[in-house]
Amino acid sequence: MALFKRLIDWIDVRIGAREIVAKELTGYLLPRNINAWYSMGSILLFIFAMQVVTGILLLIYYVPDADKAFKSVSFIMNEVPFGWLIRTCHAIGSNMMVLVLFLHMLSVLFMNSYKSPREFNWLTGFILFTLVQGISLTGYLLPWSQLSFWATTVATNSANAIPVAGPYLVEFLRGSKLVGPPTLGRFFALHVALIPLGMAAVVGAHLFFLQRTGVSTPPFGQKETANQWQGDGYRYESHPGGIPFFPNYALEDLRSIFIYLACFLAVVFFAPNLFFTSDSFLPANPLQTPAHIKPEWYFLANYQTLKIFPNEFIGLSVQGAAMTFLALLPFIDRTRERHPLKRPLFMICAVGGILLWVGLSVWGHYS
Amino acid sequence: MEHNGRRTFLGVCLGGLAAAVAAVTVWPVYRYLAPRSTRATAARVDIPEKEIPEGEAKFFEFNGASAVLVRKRGGGLIALSAVCTHLGCIVQWEKDKQDFLCPCHGGHYTPDGVVTAGPPPKPLAKLPFSVANGVITVG
Ligand code: HEM
Ligand code: FES
Repeated sequence: MALFKRLIDWIDVRIGAREIVAKELTGYLLPRNINAWYSMGSILLFIFAMQVVTGILLLIYYVPDADKAFKSVSFIMNEVPFGWLIRTCHAIGSNMMVLVLFLHMLSVLFMNSYKSPREFNWLTGFILFTLVQGISLTGYLLPWSQLSFWATTVATNSANAIPVAGPYLVEFLRGSKLVGPPTLGRFFALHVALIPLGMAAVVGAHLFFLQRTGVSTPPFGQKETANQWQGDGYRYESHPGGIPFFPNYALEDLRSIFIYLACFLAVVFFAPNLFFTSDSFLPANPLQTPAHIKPEWYFLANYQTLKIFPNEFIGLSVQGAAMTFLALLPFIDRTRERHPLKRPLFMICAVGGILLWVGLSVWGHYS
Repeated sequence: MEHNGRRTFLGVCLGGLAAAVAAVTVWPVYRYLAPRSTRATAARVDIPEKEIPEGEAKFFEFNGASAVLVRKRGGGLIALSAVCTHLGCIVQWEKDKQDFLCPCHGGHYTPDGVVTAGPPPKPLAKLPFSVANGVITVG
């Protein structure tokens, strides 16, 4: 122990480590009425780290070549010791990441914490949302199964609806007229290099903005729930008399991460095929389209939207408009009130929007 | 004191649990990364005698490493590891000089594997073999 203290002293006199701990950890105070929903961000960081680690491990045996990809994945699943575990964790982890991301967005939405001065947090978050969708879409192709191949064919094909540039855009996305070996090359580069690096950078920005503005106070259990921000000058939102981040809230974060792990491992061990269909066990065959090709669950609403409009361009425009609305939400919703129950119009729009999304997804699943 | 005893107990339980979690995480990753099998190639190799004329050498994979069979001028047969004892390069057979050269740092060996020049500290390892019905069996 004495040795440990001397080591800490040695570091401290050089870089002032204790000052950082006092300011950012033990002296970093959170609002007293903070709730478990504020742990979603930490769970997402944990999942992102898991995806990076399992992804690097998969790279050891995966071969990004159209003739070998499917075989290499089968090899990982059937021959490499614990390869099934690493691969299942990566595939299920990606689905869980989207799920937790939705929960994080919903909690931020219903606690109205996207409002000034947190527009940057919302915008960087929105970019992360699109990046997560992109990394899921590109990763889906890599096993080069029937499912990968045809899901990618359908997904990239939707860009065809864009007037004039559409057909060229589809070819550009695929690197060839049809999905084929050139598509695998570019999707692989996007999936393992460009998008993860982009995500790491945007996560950094997301946390930087959080650190500069300070954590929001949840509107629940407060008398005064109007946004106090004046906009007259920069002010860090501090919470005097609040709960220390370390050790108090860090332990709550840890508890949330363990609850997440329990759910995640339950799927990994008891329903490992939850997100696979029989087409994911067949190698890609460019000459034979399987029946009922469906995208992953979180793209079903997009898929169904494209189907219900008589014209694909309208379907695509509606989706673009919805995404733009979501991205610009903090600039559109400018009221001061932050308690959702005191905002009937907001509640109708938010709950209606969620029901619409769920309805479209269910419809897409059964159509 | 009472309170401290409980703290220590819970601390030890938590530490044990953490160690167990670490173990079940590290073990699969270790197994995943561990070399799949040291015997990538057979530990017994059969080579027809007529493939190695007098004064020639034949290189082959043996037990996951490189090995060589030489028939010396005059007929003596010998099986050696082809891994140079200096830093592990693979030696080459120089038919005109009837010796082994290691191209990495200029080590020389006789057909029996004895060092004649250069940095190798030890002779090439000899491998056991037997000959029956015109077939050489190494291993
Ligand atoms: C890879 C994805 C993401 C990661 C790793 C991440 C991480 C985090 C973390 C660690 C926090 C602080 C703790 C918390 O309030 O949860 C946070 C806060 C926040 N996030 Fe995210 N986030 C992600 C995606 C998003 C998305 C998609 C949105 C919305 C479009 C978003 C909007 C926000 C907002 C507005 C805050 C501030 C909350 C407050 O101060 O109360 N984030 N994020
Ligand atoms: S490795 Fe053979 S001489 Fe150095």
